[in-house]
Amino acid sequence: MDFAFTDDERAFAEDVRRFLRAHPLERFAVEGMDAGYGSGAHSRAFMRALGAQGWLSMGWPRKFGGGERPLFFKLVLLEELALAGAPFGPLAGCWQTADAIIAYGSERLRREVLPAVARGDGTFWQGYSEPGAGSDLLGLKTQARRDGDEYVIRGHKIWSSHAGIATYGLVFARTSQEARRSRGFSMFVVPNGTPGMDIRPITSLTGEVYHYETFLDDVRVPADMRLGPEGEGFVALLNGLDSDRFWGRFYKAPALERTLRQLVEYANTERVRGVPLARDPSVRRRLADAAVDLAALRALFYRAACLMRDEATITYETAVAKVMADETGQKIAQLGMDLLGPWGPLREGSRGARLGGSISHSYLTSLGHTIAGGTAEVLRTTIAVRGLGLPAEPKAEARSRG
Amino acid sequence: MDIRPSPAQQMLTSTARAFLKEHCPPERVQEWVLDARGFDDALWRRMAELGWPGLLVAPELGGSGGSLLDVALLVEEMGYACLPGPFVTSAVVATSLLTDAGRAEQSQRVLPALATGERIATLALVEDSGSSDPADVALACAVPGRLTGRKLFVKDAHLADQLIVVVRERNELSLLLLPTDRRGISRLPLEAISGEKLFEVVFDGVEITADDRLGAAGCGAVPLAHALAAGALARTAEMVGGAQRILDLVVEHARTRVQGGRPIGGYQAIQHACADLVRDVDTARGLLYLAAWKAAEGQPAESDVAIAKAHAGEACLAVARRGHQIFGAISYCEEHPLHLFHKRIQAAALDYGDAQHHLETVARSIGLV
Repeated sequence: MDFAFTDDERAFAEDVRRFLRAHPLERFAVEGMDAGYGSGAHSRAFMRALGAQGWLSMGWPRKFGGGERPLFFKLVLLEELALAGAPFGPLAGCWQTADAIIAYGSERLRREVLPAVARGDGTFWQGYSEPGAGSDLLGLKTQARRDGDEYVIRGHKIWSSHAGIATYGLVFARTSQEARRSRGFSMFVVPNGTPGMDIRPITSLTGEVYHYETFLDDVRVPADMRLGPEGEGFVALLNGLDSDRFWGRFYKAPALERTLRQLVEYANTERVRGVPLARDPSVRRRLADAAVDLAALRALFYRAACLMRDEATITYETAVAKVMADETGQKIAQLGMDLLGPWGPLREGSRGARLGGSISHSYLTSLGHTIAGGTAEVLRTTIAVRGLGLPAEPKAEARSRG
Repeated sequence: MDIRPSPAQQMLTSTARAFLKEHCPPERVQEWVLDARGFDDALWRRMAELGWPGLLVAPELGGSGGSLLDVALLVEEMGYACLPGPFVTSAVVATSLLTDAGRAEQSQRVLPALATGERIATLALVEDSGSSDPADVALACAVPGRLTGRKLFVKDAHLADQLIVVVRERNELSLLLLPTDRRGISRLPLEAISGEKLFEVVFDGVEITADDRLGAAGCGAVPLAHALAAGALARTAEMVGGAQRILDLVVEHARTRVQGGRPIGGYQAIQHACADLVRDVDTARGLLYLAAWKAAEGQPAESDVAIAKAHAGEACLAVARRGHQIFGAISYCEEHPLHLFHKRIQAAALDYGDAQHHLETVARSIGLV
């Protein structure tokens, strides 16, 4: 066993910190809401700055213009960015899509899309969920009909993050009506602005826009914008979900660490009847508990990271990490609200807001985290069925894997 | 970063798993719990033949010079089997104290005998305050002089040849290494639900000379902190092993117990409870290994040990309680093994600092004033 970072990894962490000192975050325009996952807001300018460093493509093979850096360099980058509160919202999604394109994408996708991703110009929204297909993705209705060298896509996607400001949609659609439910799905890379695509914002409970719904009205897509073999989309999606959960939450522990540091500082400076809040035994205990939870969370994510790097089998390890990340986030948001008392609910920008009004925002956004990307319930079933080998509920096998 | 144990560590744990499966089944544990002495001399000798009591002892003193990470992996297996006995107090805590604080003559006299298992030593720390924090030690002793007072919750004092007693000497902490048969020392059993053998040790005018000091006068605090961290790690490992065993028992039960026409593990209410057990066991183990690795590497590990012990104390107890709920009525019976593991975790959670104690260490480490 060895829990140390290598000298190269530590040197890279220092490179990232140097970059962050040289590029103050307030200089980057932000165009999409921070949904509280730890990856910050959506900032095209920041993505381009990361691209200029070569960091967006650093894990790719050299023949695709990459730097062939090992997986742990990506973790180092995400940790440093999240600890700093940087706006790198689309980053993990870009990495995952690029990896899929490199693994089984067409020449056209490799030629057109990869360079855009490397520059920070190519970002993606996920067109998976539909109004009638949430946790049960197999129930989705969107169709892609082959017509010569094109597919014609028709359907309705929802809960797509940053769809209105991204570059491409990853649209998951049925390409055949085969008997086996899990066969017959394919994934398409659809450029935003393609005729027939209508992307509409959904105002969230924070009052801002994060999700969109998209109406696809006979949207025509060249056949070589299909990602992976026809009909194999669901298998690819399922395989991708294990890493999806990982890359969608890895930065949550360092982001929560940042919040915890703010709360510690607040408890040390805020006085109640002349005594620092930090001296209140229940405050002290809850903050220490939160630090323990974060250490535990980190241990789960680094275990999953080692398994991914070593290409070992993952059955439940990313699922358990995601559930804990989201529930810990909710716990810390609640703790923050409790510490701030009547100032807790004040919005960012409000007169009198404390900690920049960030806690009320974290509190609200955290509500969505145990729902998005696999609900806590679906994932607990995954842990029990795939991790422990408990029997699936009747006819629920496919759902439990979602 | 690499989370895999080394080949030697894998050998250690697989040997321990097989050995304890054979020699320490739950029925035997139950017998030891109900027996006043609760100790199998033959089993202890076999463990000594495997080199376990000498794991932390230097090779030149007859041990194998292992690390705290090796100890954590071995004690995790002991917890998995619910093995009772003086391993942690003698082979980890007392051994650590003798190694760090002992004068050459003391180390050479006692450590080889501890390594071979011929002798057993235990620590007498806790007093009427109930605290494991050395700062709360009040028992005063002038050296030379006579020691009068008492220590509580002294583990396996009935088996020990040697007591390491923490005392205050002119306001500083000193350690005394006393034979348990010295005149004026009596050992009175406390009856704990776990069946762990705990004692009140009473000192009634016990004669103390300078030779009885373990190390120099007033120099006990540093080796004691180190030994208590080792003890906390070992007890954490015991909890992790016990919780893993409970998880395994629960999963087997959930797969095979049929109600309403199907195994109860097919119901989401049970599945989700089991998923939480996985989270609790996996996080407890992850924090244990990280803390043990840091300690083994000689890095500052105070807050890591505190995090690991505080977390395991709460998470592993939660596993035990949830285990009872999943097993249902059968686990309320003495003949069912679950209570053995539950009570052991309860005992380990309190030993060498309870969760509250370690959380205060964590509170300071995150910068709370």
